[in-house]
Amino acid sequence: MVSSLSRLGSDLREILHEQVEYRELLFSIVQRDLLLRYKQTVMGFGWAIFMPVLNTIIFSIIFTRVTRVDTGGIPYPIYAFAGLLPWNFFATALRFSVASLTSNATLVTKVYFPRELFPFSAVLVSLIDFAVAFTVLVAMMVYYHIGVTWVVLALPVILLVQIVFTCGLALLLAMANLFYRDVKYLFEIVITVWMFATSVVYPVELVGGRLGALLLLNPMTPIIDAYRAVLLRGTLPPAAPSARAAAVALVMLALGWVVFHRAEFRFAESI
Amino acid sequence: MPRASDAAGAAVRFDGVWKKFRRGESTDSLRDLIPALATRLVGGRPRADELDAASGDFWALHDVSFAVRPGEVLGIIGPNGAGKSTVLKLLTRILKPTRGECAVYGRTGALIEVAAGFHADLTGRENVFLQGAIMGMKRAEIARKMDEIIEFAGLGEFIDTQVKRFSSGMNARLGFSIAAHLDPEVLIIDEVLSVGDAAFQQKCLERMREFKGRGVAIVFVSHNLQQVADLCDEAIYLNRSVQARGPVPDVIAAYLGATKVRHANQTGGPIDVVRAQLTDETGATVTSIAPGTPLRLTVDYAAREAVADFHFGFVVYRSTDNLIVYDGNVQGEEIGIPAVQAGERVRLHFDFRPHLTRGQYHLECHVFHNRSQRYLGRLAPAGVFTVSEARTYAGIADIELACTPAGAGESDEDAARAARGSTHRASRARR
Repeated sequence: MVSSLSRLGSDLREILHEQVEYRELLFSIVQRDLLLRYKQTVMGFGWAIFMPVLNTIIFSIIFTRVTRVDTGGIPYPIYAFAGLLPWNFFATALRFSVASLTSNATLVTKVYFPRELFPFSAVLVSLIDFAVAFTVLVAMMVYYHIGVTWVVLALPVILLVQIVFTCGLALLLAMANLFYRDVKYLFEIVITVWMFATSVVYPVELVGGRLGALLLLNPMTPIIDAYRAVLLRGTLPPAAPSARAAAVALVMLALGWVVFHRAEFRFAESI
Repeated sequence: MPRASDAAGAAVRFDGVWKKFRRGESTDSLRDLIPALATRLVGGRPRADELDAASGDFWALHDVSFAVRPGEVLGIIGPNGAGKSTVLKLLTRILKPTRGECAVYGRTGALIEVAAGFHADLTGRENVFLQGAIMGMKRAEIARKMDEIIEFAGLGEFIDTQVKRFSSGMNARLGFSIAAHLDPEVLIIDEVLSVGDAAFQQKCLERMREFKGRGVAIVFVSHNLQQVADLCDEAIYLNRSVQARGPVPDVIAAYLGATKVRHANQTGGPIDVVRAQLTDETGATVTSIAPGTPLRLTVDYAAREAVADFHFGFVVYRSTDNLIVYDGNVQGEEIGIPAVQAGERVRLHFDFRPHLTRGQYHLECHVFHNRSQRYLGRLAPAGVFTVSEARTYAGIADIELACTPAGAGESDEDAARAARGSTHRASRARR
């Protein structure tokens, strides 16, 4: 017990030390990925806006013309967009992360630096996309005359919780895909199901029953709801579910990072 | 601050390192994971640091130890698959040893796959920032050295072109140039000196010597034995385990003895080159000589068939890179042997003075048919010798360099010195 604790301690020290040592490399890799995106695609960052906007249009048609959902008085399009925006960040970050180690195989097998830089840079690049698409949300808020109140100050905290949770998962997924390439395909299925299990385009409380109770365990719902609370409703998110989500996020990052760090030395042999 | 050396003063230390690898494929789809997990649960799994021969495990490295102190250059030579790259990957922390310990103290620069981080769609300049960061340089440092890096790589205005438009030589030169501007305490070099043209290679070697002079500990892996001989103080000959270690010429000789010298024994032809013996003037067997020492190779030929119109060939190779130092012929008529009869034996003396610089050399003897342009018989190596001297820095030919203060009348000082009769002939340093 004592020895495993001290090992954990030394792992954490190593992890922190490496992050400090290689912090500039993380930004260089993020910069590379952004440059490439900008160079290779005609629309560049336009794609960051295009996907959530398209989804918002589709779901707006479904949930205002075909059937109606109770969004608590918020116009449906902005309700959906405020959910799709953070969800898109989450899903894209993970999608890039899954392949981040395997697509950099040369670097993984030839040069040493902390491998977590790859999934982390995937998350950071997606964060830039998120920031770009956020401007559309601001425009929609102006259009729907939704003003901001002081609770908007909680936004960075919510974003941080989401990033922490995403990073934890990103580490595990990148590592899993390195050892077992099936993970990439499995991920696509899981992420699709997960979106409908989260309050992205409709309030998941409406599900009810046992399935509804099960869905409440999903840490992404309180996170996405928190965005809507502070931006659209002008209230702070409910304390208990938010705290739970934050705790889950922290545990996920710690777990992901320690597991990743311990498996790291096998990457070059297994890729 | 990282320590620059351990208690024993070593900057790089390999201590009884064993590394296990597996032949064939390991489990890499989820389908294989489940049976693998099942076996693990049942406990049929051997200890991680034992060899499980049944599943194709083998020791890629077998109890390898060495140490490199600051300012020293250790060369690692060995055939393909000897584990050289594995050693480098262990040193650069890409792999972990199965047993034993491997430690590197201080800021480490690795010149392995110098262009590994390059992305084809980025420009040269963008890639310098990226690759530099991968090699552990700070952004500000890269920006400061950018001009030098471009200059060293000789890329000029091409630096703002996408790397995918570069030739492979330009790519490698840029990669090496970035690496050459690292400021490491330990440098790990793989084969990379073989990039670019001769002039660029020379520039790279200069750079390595500069690092060495600055007290950088260097581990240098290469198939180019001549570069190893030029650069290293000590070498090990690796073939899964350490086969030989010590001064470079000895280790290279051991390696060459085992593999490198191109054996070209052609027997069963019209003429057999039966035997050759290399001696000095006194008839003693030769191993290590000073430049210009007279040598004699005595060669026995035996003819199976009657042939005419041939010459006797005599070739000197530098063994470390199979460079032909000399390739000369003696026509049969010239020495009164225009033809041979079946069963006839001939013995020839080849007397020569190898005015060569330090290194490992070997000889080849052959008989060549002029009309058909074919070898009648051939023996290589027909002799092996090492030239030892300590004056030269690089090069092949011993030019009997002498250096003396100028004679009387050329300058007042010299005149005074000449008057005292103190003209010196530079004495040749010999090992």
